[in-house]
Amino acid sequence: MTQPSPHAPPPTAPLIELTGLEKTYEAGGTLIYALRATDLIVRHGAFLTVMGPSGSGKSTLLNLFGLLMRPTAGTYLLEGRAVSGLNDDATSAVRCKMIGMVFQSFNLLSHLTILENVCVPMQYAGLPRAAMRQRGKALLDRFGLDGRYGSRPTQLSGGQCQRVAIARALANDPPVILADEPTGNLDEQTGLEVMGIFQELHRSGKTIIMVTHNPAYRKYATQAVSIHDGRACET
Amino acid sequence: MNLLEMSVTVYASLTRHLVRSLLATLGIVLGIAAVVAMLAIGEGGRQEALRQIESQGIDNIILRSVKPAEGNAQQTTRSYTQRYGITQRDVEHIESVFENVRLIVPVMEVRREIYLGQTSTDIKAVATTPAFLEVSRCRLVDSRSRFLVPTDGKILDPVCVVGTKAARRLFGHRDPLGQAVVIGNVSFRVVGLMENPGGGRIGGQFELNNLVCMPLETATSLWGGITIQMRRGMAEKVDYDFLYLAAKNIDAIPGTAGRLRTYLRGAHAQVDYEVQVPYELLQSARRTQRIFTVVMTSIAAISLLVGGIGIMNIMLANIFERTREIGVRRALGARKRDILWQFLAESVLLTSIGGGLGAGLGIATAAAAEMISRLGGEAGLKAVVTSESLIVALAVSVITGISFGTHPAWKAAQLDPLTALRHE
Repeated sequence: MTQPSPHAPPPTAPLIELTGLEKTYEAGGTLIYALRATDLIVRHGAFLTVMGPSGSGKSTLLNLFGLLMRPTAGTYLLEGRAVSGLNDDATSAVRCKMIGMVFQSFNLLSHLTILENVCVPMQYAGLPRAAMRQRGKALLDRFGLDGRYGSRPTQLSGGQCQRVAIARALANDPPVILADEPTGNLDEQTGLEVMGIFQELHRSGKTIIMVTHNPAYRKYATQAVSIHDGRACET
Repeated sequence: MNLLEMSVTVYASLTRHLVRSLLATLGIVLGIAAVVAMLAIGEGGRQEALRQIESQGIDNIILRSVKPAEGNAQQTTRSYTQRYGITQRDVEHIESVFENVRLIVPVMEVRREIYLGQTSTDIKAVATTPAFLEVSRCRLVDSRSRFLVPTDGKILDPVCVVGTKAARRLFGHRDPLGQAVVIGNVSFRVVGLMENPGGGRIGGQFELNNLVCMPLETATSLWGGITIQMRRGMAEKVDYDFLYLAAKNIDAIPGTAGRLRTYLRGAHAQVDYEVQVPYELLQSARRTQRIFTVVMTSIAAISLLVGGIGIMNIMLANIFERTREIGVRRALGARKRDILWQFLAESVLLTSIGGGLGAGLGIATAAAAEMISRLGGEAGLKAVVTSESLIVALAVSVITGISFGTHPAWKAAQLDPLTALRHE
């Protein structure tokens, strides 16, 4: 199992428990294993990196974590609750309040201001407008974007966009942040800055699950999973 | 997502491509504009028709003498006087047989010129009885005015009552009461000023406000019944040019009119009369209006169908273009119904804006049509925009938005979040 890093918080109760989680596709009569039966426990406050070559199943695992796809078999418990078989409304509620997502290509909505982008998850959580804007501004301030509330994503650099995306992921204060190669579109220096933010979030108690190609980021993790041909194993 | 947030989101989405959004509504704008304009012009025409019909008196039946075609003319053997139209015999028969007729008011055109200085005018003079004021739906204008009274006829008084328009032409700003009007070669004293508020006409012929009325007995004593001299020694004789029959109640009108037609067909060898029943004209106008409404509804339905298909196309294109946005929203917690409502609201907002712009354009078009039609001078088209037509137009816009926006919105809501996120 996982070797905790020297700076990691002490292991606590499990946040995520995967048991025999599996995802298969059928293509041309052939069964393809995107993710073979996987058992994994991610505790509160963990920083998990998922590594592996392209097409190995990293993104599949992250999408399963994010409830963006349903597993073919196995169970997925989030804070002790089975979430893989929920209906659409309940799945959306879990995505809205329990999970924050950060994408490689930021996925900011270009026709909205960055403040409005940060407010999107809070809209779906039903927060009042004033509270939403206040929290959105506080999050942008936290990531050095104070005074840029009215800017559009196209007016920002890649690093700034990713900071907006991280702010958006934190909007509903979810316990877990899923990041899919968050530095993949950034230069090395900016990537390090973004990793610094994740490290900061981890220190503040957030559970981070990050898919990355970069072995250098292993040092930030308290737990690591390596995937090859759909087989996940902790390293 | 609450309503306010939904509105903000929808507004942001639509203003993203403002020109495209406005172009998308063009079909709805033109459709609604056409409907509102045509309804306004139709309503104006309907009101005008009803006003004219009602100004003739809805409980009246009006008989009019009509000169038969030359070939059918009956000529007496001893004279060259052609007699036609409503006769005294008809009046007596109606008086004795038609129990549902409350009043019989004969009207005879006094075929004598009325002069303004040395110039003859087109003001008509008629001879009638005191009940004419009631059946013609006229009213006295001045408190000093009076209409013809039975005594006028008995003493053969040369008095007259003039319509407001005729009075203006004859006397300008002078007080017409007590003035003299020369009709033929006889001077008549003006004792009253009358007005028909609807601007109606006697049997659709003579404008009531441009009329001079005198006692029937006075006219008969002066001119011995009206004979019109024609060319080559020919003459025409008409007892009464019009006969107003006022029914006891409106329900009796259809039956009375039917019996009257039957009687006239038997009593007159030729069709030298016309029966006008304002009540029937009103019914006919209402039927025409219903047909007009059906036609308009069909045109509206077709134009809105075209507009709605345009909206659906734009919404489908929008959804394709914004597939990734849908994926992002779903990944951030949007439920299927949040996406459905968002796109449906966009569609309804688009068509509502189209409806609003269309209603405005329709009102402007109707007003322009009315203005252009009146450039020539006299009364032209009349456009009346009713609040009902505007409410219907806007309601139809919203319904179009819902009808044609539901499929694209449902399609958007059904998108798989992951597939949508991966959409390039």
